[in-house]
Amino acid sequence: MSFSVSTEISKNVVILTLEGELDSSTAPKLNEEVQKSILNKPDKLVMNLEKLNFMSSAGLRIIIFARQKMGSAARLILVKPQEQVVETLKITGLLSSVSIVDKYQE
Amino acid sequence: MNLQSESRIFSATLDALDPIREFLTNTGKAAGLEKNRIYKLCLAVDEIATNIISYGYNEPAKKDGTISITVKSDHKVLTVICEDFGVPFNPLEKPIPGEKELSLPIEERPVGGLGIMLAINNVDEFSYRYENNKNMNIFHIML
Repeated sequence: MSFSVSTEISKNVVILTLEGELDSSTAPKLNEEVQKSILNKPDKLVMNLEKLNFMSSAGLRIIIFARQKMGSAARLILVKPQEQVVETLKITGLLSSVSIVDKYQE
Repeated sequence: MNLQSESRIFSATLDALDPIREFLTNTGKAAGLEKNRIYKLCLAVDEIATNIISYGYNEPAKKDGTISITVKSDHKVLTVICEDFGVPFNPLEKPIPGEKELSLPIEERPVGGLGIMLAINNVDEFSYRYENNKNMNIFHIML
């Protein structure tokens, strides 16, 4: 198992596609992409989580960090997270800070 | 199939997190745990193991540390015991975010404590003991 992230930047939207397992050993990779992504203050940061099979609190910290840096007018959109990832966001009170969609459309 | 007891020793490095989850997935499956509960078990142990690796063996004298994981089961309960020789740390003594902290606007949210909260919340019972210079983090899942 491993983790990969690819980045697509268009106008004011950054789309990150995550794949594999996000834990404390793989989180630095995502953290780096998120740091770069929010430099230009996008209106939307979209994370496609369809192929993300595992996410620990290391992932939550990145979500909190991104939200805090982006400001409240920007949106953080999670596409198709697995049920267990949604559950993790729910018990840590983060569900209301993100938008969850089945498909991202501009 | 009914798993009785299986142990494995991992080096206390972040690279071990993935093989630890693999070990738990295999033993959990053998004990008849369904996918969703295996995920929760992996998440709970991952959070505790991450703490041990990041803080428990942080002192130079404690490098080259190990984490030993034992999975036991009978008909009623699956028990995972995670042992290490790092600095004593009882996760249950660390304040975990309460409802008040969790409902704060994201800008004011504290980031600490979420991992331990997930560890405790994702198993049926969590306990801790310190014995013979060893931290023992114990997870129970009812079968």
